[in-house]
Amino acid sequence: MAELTPFGFRPGKSLPHRLDVRFKLFFLILISLISLSGDFLRLGIFTCLLTALVIHSGLPLRSGLKGLRVFLLLLLLVLMARIMTTPGDTLFEIKSYAVTRQGILSGILICWRLTLIVLLGLVFVFTTRSLEIKAAVEWVLKPLSFIPGKRIATMLSLTTRFVPVILNQANETAEAQRARCVENRKNPVYRLIRLGIPLIRRTFERADKLAVAMEARCYNEKRTDPELSATRTDWITLGVMILICSLAIGIPRYAYN
Amino acid sequence: MFIIEIENLSHRFEDGTLGLDRISLQIQEGAFVVIAGPNGSGKTTLIRHLNGLLLPTVGSVKLAGVPVRNDLLRARCLVGMMFQDADSQIVGETVYEDVAFGPENLRLDRNRIGQRVTQAIDAVGLTDLTDQSPHLLSGGEKRRLAIAGILAMEPRVIAFDEPFASLDYPGVKQVLKQILALHQSGHTILVITHDLEKVLAHADRLIIMQRGKIVKDGVPAEIVSAVEAYGVRTPCASLLGMEVQSWLN
Repeated sequence: MAELTPFGFRPGKSLPHRLDVRFKLFFLILISLISLSGDFLRLGIFTCLLTALVIHSGLPLRSGLKGLRVFLLLLLLVLMARIMTTPGDTLFEIKSYAVTRQGILSGILICWRLTLIVLLGLVFVFTTRSLEIKAAVEWVLKPLSFIPGKRIATMLSLTTRFVPVILNQANETAEAQRARCVENRKNPVYRLIRLGIPLIRRTFERADKLAVAMEARCYNEKRTDPELSATRTDWITLGVMILICSLAIGIPRYAYN
Repeated sequence: MFIIEIENLSHRFEDGTLGLDRISLQIQEGAFVVIAGPNGSGKTTLIRHLNGLLLPTVGSVKLAGVPVRNDLLRARCLVGMMFQDADSQIVGETVYEDVAFGPENLRLDRNRIGQRVTQAIDAVGLTDLTDQSPHLLSGGEKRRLAIAGILAMEPRVIAFDEPFASLDYPGVKQVLKQILALHQSGHTILVITHDLEKVLAHADRLIIMQRGKIVKDGVPAEIVSAVEAYGVRTPCASLLGMEVQSWLN
């Protein structure tokens, strides 16, 4: 049996699980856009909202963060770069680099924004079936007749469906290599190549098998479309979200520098 | 009535390897056929011709009198196929969604899809797991889900490619029970295996393949003692001069 990962859909009855995917997609884009230019107060408001969503939807945050180790490393690099390169009031110096108050605040702000957006995406993927994502993408791309919406939607939904499978595969391959003492090889490039090549090969093999199995079940692009229907809950949630976002936009900016 | 008629079928792969070599075969509707042979003998290649996943280089394959090549959609509805790696044929996020995949491809309306999916899930005993992620099912449950996905297409023939591979004993019994129930409900069953022990007691015909050819074809009890010569292990009971027993007894 496979391990649970938060990078895929898990059935549930929470509000995010029940919302129409088009509304969820709209909220995701709206909050992400506001967060991208948000200050500490705005991010604080959205963080409270996100915390409530994470608890309510049952997202396993601990294993989620464990799975986001590489992203957290990236955040650390962003923070370091900001701290080292932003001019302002010097707090102390490391070698020839001045650590400034503005640099620390700006680094924290950027990392906070990125984390918020990634966690929002995680909640979205955790509470939305890939079929619904596919339907929403098709719905969004419908007016753009020159874009093959159905094909793009299928590719997207299959990608979402197979992320946990590929992650499990990567874990299995890594474990098999640890069992043969790969950790004794200190060169990270060597280890990456040894992990990457078999993983990519097996992923392509799996994709081949999947394509044959889909063909055997009469897959084509003219399929029964998933039903998308907005309910009263969706419209009420939309109203509440617009209210929160209006408040967040309307609050005067806090100047930290 | 013959549901499957194969005449002089040969298949050559793109790299020049001969996968099947002049195979002729007829299978009665409602039969339970076991196809055995060592790895690379052409078993999987043969059944992939039944629903047009592969097309003959030479010869023809007919399903209920109509050549597969003429109507691939009909062939794929008529012949359901369970692949060896059940994980790779699961496309849905939940058990329900996965079973609905085939009927959605047939552009059925939502009500009919719902009916077919519910019936198929009930038939394989996964009703309590309808909203479960397929990824988290046990090996036996995944195989049963794959069977439900096939049943939702309402096929008349079901081909199983190594259905017992890497299953534990309870898993084998679950899948075997399911296969027998499908046979009793009138489906024509083809089981590909190199392990005769688990299924031979229920088969009414045994076909042995080697290097792309059919080398033995007959009633299991009559030819089972000769299979060792073709790279297939003789069931233990046969070696002792006894009748092969069902794994469900």
